[in-house]
Amino acid sequence: MTDRWVTFASLGDAELVRLAGEIDLSNAPEIGREIVRHAGGAEAVLIDLTAVSFLDSAGVRLLDGLVGDLDRAGVPIKLVVGETGAARMTLQLCAFREDLLSTDLDRAAKELRI
Amino acid sequence: MTESGEGGPDVTQDLRVPWEEDPGDLYEHAPCGYLTTLPDGTIVKVNETFLAWSGYERTDLVGRRRFRDLLGAGDRIYHETHYAPLLNMRGSVSEVAFDLIRKDGRRLPILVNSVLGRDSSGLPRAVRTTVFNATERRSYEKELLAARRAAEASEQRVGALQQVVADLAAAPTAAEVGDAVVRAPGAAFGAEGAQVWLLDADRAQLTLLAGADGGAPAGDDIPLASSRPVARVARRGDLHVIGSVAEAEKHFPELAETMRRTGHRTMVLLPLTAGFAGESVGAEVLGVLSFGFGEERELSDSELRVVRLLGHQAGQALDRARLYDDARRREERATFLAETTRALDEVPRLLPRARRLIDRLVPRMAEWAAVRLQVGPAPLLAGEGGPVPDPERLAQRVALVTANNKAELTDDGPDRDLAVLPLAVGGRVLGTLALRMAPGRPPASAEASFLGDLADRVALALENARLYEQERAVARTLQRSLLASDLPGDPRFAVETHYQAAAQDLEVGGDWFDAFLITPDKLAVVVGDVVGRGIDAATTMGQLRSAIRALASAEAGPARLLERLDRFVDRVESARMATVAYAEVDLSSNELTYACAGHLPPLLAEPGSAPAYLLEGRSGALGTLAGRRARIEHRVPLAAGSRLLLYTDGLIERRTRGIDAGFAMLARAYAGRRASPLPGLTAGLAANLVGPEHADDVCLLCLALGTEDRLERSIGADPQLIASLRADLRGWLASHGVDEQTAQAVLLASSEAVANAIEHGYRNDPFGIVDITTVVSAEAVEVRITDRGDWQNPHGDLARGRGLRLMEQAMDEVTFDRTDGTTVTMRRARGQR
Repeated sequence: MTDRWVTFASLGDAELVRLAGEIDLSNAPEIGREIVRHAGGAEAVLIDLTAVSFLDSAGVRLLDGLVGDLDRAGVPIKLVVGETGAARMTLQLCAFREDLLSTDLDRAAKELRI
Repeated sequence: MTESGEGGPDVTQDLRVPWEEDPGDLYEHAPCGYLTTLPDGTIVKVNETFLAWSGYERTDLVGRRRFRDLLGAGDRIYHETHYAPLLNMRGSVSEVAFDLIRKDGRRLPILVNSVLGRDSSGLPRAVRTTVFNATERRSYEKELLAARRAAEASEQRVGALQQVVADLAAAPTAAEVGDAVVRAPGAAFGAEGAQVWLLDADRAQLTLLAGADGGAPAGDDIPLASSRPVARVARRGDLHVIGSVAEAEKHFPELAETMRRTGHRTMVLLPLTAGFAGESVGAEVLGVLSFGFGEERELSDSELRVVRLLGHQAGQALDRARLYDDARRREERATFLAETTRALDEVPRLLPRARRLIDRLVPRMAEWAAVRLQVGPAPLLAGEGGPVPDPERLAQRVALVTANNKAELTDDGPDRDLAVLPLAVGGRVLGTLALRMAPGRPPASAEASFLGDLADRVALALENARLYEQERAVARTLQRSLLASDLPGDPRFAVETHYQAAAQDLEVGGDWFDAFLITPDKLAVVVGDVVGRGIDAATTMGQLRSAIRALASAEAGPARLLERLDRFVDRVESARMATVAYAEVDLSSNELTYACAGHLPPLLAEPGSAPAYLLEGRSGALGTLAGRRARIEHRVPLAAGSRLLLYTDGLIERRTRGIDAGFAMLARAYAGRRASPLPGLTAGLAANLVGPEHADDVCLLCLALGTEDRLERSIGADPQLIASLRADLRGWLASHGVDEQTAQAVLLASSEAVANAIEHGYRNDPFGIVDITTVVSAEAVEVRITDRGDWQNPHGDLARGRGLRLMEQAMDEVTFDRTDGTTVTMRRARGQR
């Protein structure tokens, strides 16, 4: 059901979560549950938002909660976002911490391993 | 007289007795007393018999006593006033009753006959008197008298009882039975302070039905388990007579206290029982009658019989009243159910139907009631009355009932009398009806089967409303999705449309409009109307609309298109008799070709002239069997700035006026708006001509040769629909050359505003509609988003608060207007920030 919006892969020790398409009120809660199910026990999490064409406050809530949970658990997390685009705009408007955001997947993966 | 009879003696001759009859002995020992007195009454001769009866010696009487001296005081007076004068006047008296006072003082009832003997000169000489012993006869008379007195007393009781029985027969309710019974002890026995208590078996308590409440220390009701004598009599079902305060002290100390207070010395407590007379074991006790006497009083057997009879009669009357009450209540319930079903049928929509139900229940039957329906993302609620039960406990019970599909009717515990009933159809629980019965009604547990019936009917009615709602929403969504999808527009032309659903809660109609480019230079505009309403009409409309899009071609033209549609309709029966106005505009030459299949004529307004109806190119409705099927079309060159209006009959047809008047009004209104901007034109015309209270759907399309500066969409209150709105908006913004960053911001802010409307405004209404209007100018994009929902504290929710902040950050201006629902107006200047 959620395959359209979220797919999972491993990148070294990290769980790579790829989000795509439009994330909004209608699908964010379901995507959130899917991510928790897959990446619950990961040592590090990378969320790739480069293919996201729309992100609303429900999507922000999802990411915000995810980051909070992983931070508390001491699991490193990075969000990969394009230089421009819908996801970048929404996250910037919500003032997400710059240290969470990266524009390049490989660089983010490297930073996680430090 | 000679008689020669063979069997009998000859009475003319003296018979000789077989022994020597001594006349003296006969005198002395005759079976009656003989007295001879002087005229003054002095006894001169008396026989043995009299002496034996009176106990006197002869010497005590002869010459010493008068006859009257032997009588009692009352008799002596009678002797003076009646006996003596009568004897003097008539010479004899007979059968005069006296009481002879014997020597030992005892009385002997006697009957006296006297004859007055006179001498030759006629003067009284002597009185001869015979005396008969009347003891037997007197005692018989006394018995008669006593019997008559007893009969009189008994008659009084019987009369009182008869009166009560007559009253009871005419007493249809327990209260009236009580009024009749409470009068009986006074009338029958001269008793006082009567009270009638009614046993309420459901509540296990006794309620004072009639009589002054002299006994109850607090309140009206006595628990059946109480130690009070009334409760004890009700439990045991036998008659209690408490003869004295001392006796009460021994067995019922509470009663003794009451007796001292009320001044009663004897109390009677009588169970009122139903069943056969004389049957006391196991007879059902329906109530208790108590009464008292100011003196200590023993009740005779016959009085006790009457008392028991009274209890029995009253019990039967109560039983009858109860049956009558039951029958009446059953009838009331049946009427209530029938009326409720009818009342619910009157409102087809779900929430109004649930509210109507609550209105029926509160306060007539329940002091508080609430319907909770599991429909859509959030539960739908309708409730009224009070006090409202504890929400947590209510939620627990609702969850239990929903899970088990079984009613919870509890009479005790913290939420006494709170009943939660499942609303289930076909085993599926749609929701619950929770209620607390109105005071004075039987508890919910006593009405279980009635409440079950009610819940069944309500469930069915609400399920029907839900299905109606669902179909309506599906039909409306389908219709709107078909109507709203990407109408074309470019600098050469603009299309403005308006669709207005009927004001009453009718199903959707089959009206539609459409506009599409057949080739880059050829535009087609359509308005049509499918026969019927509802989801079938909406589906058929969608089929016809698609058919027209598929069949339209650069070469065919309107007449050929209609011919092909006729063939289509021959296979799609539901589309038969649909009407269509179809026009093609060659955007390179500004030439209009149109054809009307049974549809109202288009109205053309050209610059500088009055609007004119296009009356050519007419033929019958699609698939017509009786109408003209030869399809014709007509060409008209259009001047730049022309506006063509297509519409459905709801715009002009009224029962109250002719169609010509409708045409004239439309033409006048259209002419009046000749200079108005295209955006809002069709909506304005609809408002002008039909107003808010219209009974039919109205559909308009106005084609202006020259671009849409405005995007208007309506979506249902479903988060899933926001994505399609964004798609429309994204395309429309792109077509206006709005830069990417501004477009992203407008998309984000619009999404958030619509999500707010759905999550807050329509949190209780899954069928709400959100309207979005977007206008673009050279400088800015303006978005207006309206819902008619009922908001509560939109800033309270942290997550939605973030949505509001995003809107404010993405746009330059955000304003809220909450006068009628909520309208958010947002503006952002075009270009990079």
